[in-house]
Amino acid sequence: MSQRFMTRREMLKLMTVGGGAAVLAACGTAPAAQEPTSAPAVVSETGSTVNLTYWGSYSGGLGEAETALVEKFNGSQDEIVVEYQFQGSYEDTAQKFTAGLQADTIPEVVLLSDVWWFTFYVAGAISPLDDLAAQTGLDLTDFEPVLLNEGNRQGVNYWIPFGRSTPLFYYNKDIWAEAGLEDRAPANWAEFIEWAPQLVQKEGDTMTRAAFVHPNSASYIAWLFQGVTWQFGGQYSLDDFTMTMTDENTLRGAQFYQDTANSLGWALLASDISQEFLGGTAASMMASTGGLRSISETASFEVGVGFLPEETYFGCPTGGAGLAIPSSIPDEKKLAAMQYITYVTNPENAGFWARETGYMPTRISAKQLPEMVQFFEENPNFKTAVDQLPKTRAQDAARVYVRNGDQIIGKGLERIVVNNEAPATVFAEINDELTKAAEPILEDLKAIEG
Amino acid sequence: MTSRAISFPWTKRKHREWLLFGLLVGPNLALFSIFTYWPLIYNFYLSFVRWNFLRPTKPWVWFNNYIDTFTDAKFWEIMGNTLVFTVATVGGTLLLGLLLALLINQPLRFRDGARAIVFSPVVMSGAVVAVVWSYIFDPRYGLLDQILGWVGLNSPDWLVDPFWAMPAVIIVYIWKNIGYAVVIYLAGLQGIPRDLYEAARVDGAGAWAQFWNVTLPGLSPVAFFLSVTSILTSFQSFDIIKVLTNGGPVNATSTLILFLYELGFVSYDAGEAGVVAMVLFTIMFILTLIQLRYLERQVSYG
Amino acid sequence: MTTREFEYETVVGPAPRADARPRPRAMRWLGYLAMIGVVIVIGLPIYWTLIGSFKLYNEIYRVPPTWFPLEPTWQNFPDAWNAAPFGRYYINSIIVTALGSLSEVALAIMSAYALAFVRFPGKNYVFIILLSALMIPVEITIIPNYLTIARLGWINTYQGIIVPGAAIAYGTFLLRQAFKALPYEVLEAARVDGAGHLRTMTSVVAPMAQPAIVTMALLSLVAKWNDFLWPLIVTNTADMRTLPIGIFWLRDQEGLVNWGVVMAGSLFLIVPVMIGFIWAQRYIVDGIAAGAVKG
Repeated sequence: MSQRFMTRREMLKLMTVGGGAAVLAACGTAPAAQEPTSAPAVVSETGSTVNLTYWGSYSGGLGEAETALVEKFNGSQDEIVVEYQFQGSYEDTAQKFTAGLQADTIPEVVLLSDVWWFTFYVAGAISPLDDLAAQTGLDLTDFEPVLLNEGNRQGVNYWIPFGRSTPLFYYNKDIWAEAGLEDRAPANWAEFIEWAPQLVQKEGDTMTRAAFVHPNSASYIAWLFQGVTWQFGGQYSLDDFTMTMTDENTLRGAQFYQDTANSLGWALLASDISQEFLGGTAASMMASTGGLRSISETASFEVGVGFLPEETYFGCPTGGAGLAIPSSIPDEKKLAAMQYITYVTNPENAGFWARETGYMPTRISAKQLPEMVQFFEENPNFKTAVDQLPKTRAQDAARVYVRNGDQIIGKGLERIVVNNEAPATVFAEINDELTKAAEPILEDLKAIEG
Repeated sequence: MTSRAISFPWTKRKHREWLLFGLLVGPNLALFSIFTYWPLIYNFYLSFVRWNFLRPTKPWVWFNNYIDTFTDAKFWEIMGNTLVFTVATVGGTLLLGLLLALLINQPLRFRDGARAIVFSPVVMSGAVVAVVWSYIFDPRYGLLDQILGWVGLNSPDWLVDPFWAMPAVIIVYIWKNIGYAVVIYLAGLQGIPRDLYEAARVDGAGAWAQFWNVTLPGLSPVAFFLSVTSILTSFQSFDIIKVLTNGGPVNATSTLILFLYELGFVSYDAGEAGVVAMVLFTIMFILTLIQLRYLERQVSYG
Repeated sequence: MTTREFEYETVVGPAPRADARPRPRAMRWLGYLAMIGVVIVIGLPIYWTLIGSFKLYNEIYRVPPTWFPLEPTWQNFPDAWNAAPFGRYYINSIIVTALGSLSEVALAIMSAYALAFVRFPGKNYVFIILLSALMIPVEITIIPNYLTIARLGWINTYQGIIVPGAAIAYGTFLLRQAFKALPYEVLEAARVDGAGHLRTMTSVVAPMAQPAIVTMALLSLVAKWNDFLWPLIVTNTADMRTLPIGIFWLRDQEGLVNWGVVMAGSLFLIVPVMIGFIWAQRYIVDGIAAGAVKG
């Protein structure tokens, strides 16, 4: 930050925070009380307020919760005014940010989804955040490490988790009971293979109820299959962008997916899995924690949830979005933007956001807050989702860092599951396609990371 | 093209007439130049560079993007899909539209009401239409499955089966656009002079011969007008496919416009997106030129 | 002779005498049957949208689906209305649609008149260049136009939404065809009266081609009213947004969509246009025919 607007109050603030940070580092986990509850001051010498624009993708119920958070922040201090501007889907928001970068009409805070932030990172369009975090007193050590590390490159944080979700195993308790199964999610796929035939219902040759439902590529099958590759000991790619789609274990996972819908024949693939699950035409599914609340409220049966089934290992990817600050805005605005991020991700607000939306609480200490403890008691399913969180893992580069990687893999999976093509053939082609698609990213990455 | 310029005494000086032409067409052309032709020219330039919308530099790569696109098997698969989609939707709209128009052209009661219902999908937004139809297509609980069930048929898995996905998007497209064709055909039918039918009857022509010799030729200008506009609309149809299938399963319903969107807005490959846009433009331009020639030569009567 | 009949006679041809010729009874029954079939096939998805907006949250996801709401509710309408500033969206949509369509109609009349009646060398090339605007996918115009509008300082303004779409090719094509179909004698008469081009255009050609112009205006209104992508990109704040964006706001990014509310919201969008269509449908029928029939 520049000297120009450093006021006495600001200096004091910084000193306090610096001291606080040292204490926190010593303690490990920070209790919530030590976080600044109101944003510290950013006052230019004229004494005017700093106006910030925040571009996000939350609409509907999520949009209301987002607006409430922004208003809460604006009411908590009188130096910064944030305006939340809805920009459409994650995709729309990223596209508009791209156009905005060219036209120099960018916001000060932008919400980027897991498959988009990296594109802007390699373009040098988003700021490193650690120094800013130190200045505003944002305790990075209190974030769930798996979530925070996803936005970390070479030891520097660029993307602060916000609105994060993970997949969860959902099951229909009525059908479970009808089949005489224990009221829990299957511990592993072997167990589910045993259970599945009892969950299926047939009328002649047509399956009127499937044991399990896969989404199609348009509804992100490649996200859910990410966890399954890990469960089988495979992966989409290595950290250096070497594609591993033809890895023996990745292929075993793909073979399993194919079997579920073909030789085993108890799974189906549908364009709207929630609808199949709610309608009782599928007894179980893997789906985002983001839908937990609305699915439970809508279902005419009791919804059970559990960790994803294991195979050789446990595997579950993270998903959702995070907040970033553009690199080309003035330092004063960057600091103010960071103050906003600090406020909305503090344990109290992380808890509020999680309770309102069903997204994961990103802060470790948020889970101990009394209102969260009470919420967990009332919503044991939500507790399950949160308990699974530390066991999750950031997704492979092939899906989230390669542009369109999600659809490239998803369409390969459709060929395997729907067209019944041989996994080895399909994934060999997908491997080449991903390798080619990764080339431009690798060039840019070399330029920015050396 | 026939030109029927009116000559007014005071505009004998042709330059003055040219100026007037410029003034009348100028604003339209100027706006198009800034907001439509310029993007096309810029896009043409982008088709020769390598760029991802974010990098500061755009290295010139000559025809590499064109070579990459034309040697990609996926591109030709998508060209094939585009052909199937366009032929089926344009053909379906024109033929079914004609059939419907002929049947409800009779002096029937409630004809205006029926026309309003037939036209209403035209004014619905593509995204809402796609959502409603995804309910109708579901093979387990969809409305279509229930209806097929009444006649003892099983519903195919419309949006998931690579064979049925294309028919599904074609059905929805025709459903949405047929009203436009019907309304135009109805108008065309009213425009056919009655005495032509009477003359045909005097010559002893039956209903079929009347249809063949009077109705069809009478409607040909309408059909040509519709084919120009519906080919252009069909080629650029985006909402319905995007929301219903997103081009899937695999690439079964992906058309050039979907591919253009994917390359440009998801893959961030401005160069190849540029190539696909140029291909799309060129195809439509040539088709329109051919049709206009035909339309203007064969159909300008009356 | 009323004006209305006059137009009909000159633009479309002799008015049909519906019962001039006795039709076989079988044909008429077939006609009614077809009409019922059409109303069912085309009307069913519309019916589904309509009843969806009266269903409770849970019932939308019910299997098998219900053909009539079990507990019909009006609640979705206030829920949708209160979820976003729809009043403001209506005002914006009306402003943007009215000004955008007005501009399109004016430019189409001017261009079509010039193309039909004013002498200019290479006029047909001008026509093809104008038509080619219909062949340029909107996808490639978005980013360049965003940059242009940003340079003009028009981001988040009405002119930013309206101006890039103010020119018109389809309507020019339609009206050019309609103008060329006008009877030459009337134009001759105008000439004899000493009318210049501008007066001929505004006082003779435009009124005579009124049905075609109304049609074109209606099609233009529908397109502007439903436009989503450009208004979303060029505006930022809720007070500048239009109805289609408001309906998009009703959907959640993750989790279930409350389709009852979304369908109620889409009725906000559809109903005004349908009323407009029903009111203007006679003009549409006559108008499009005028453009299309006499090429």
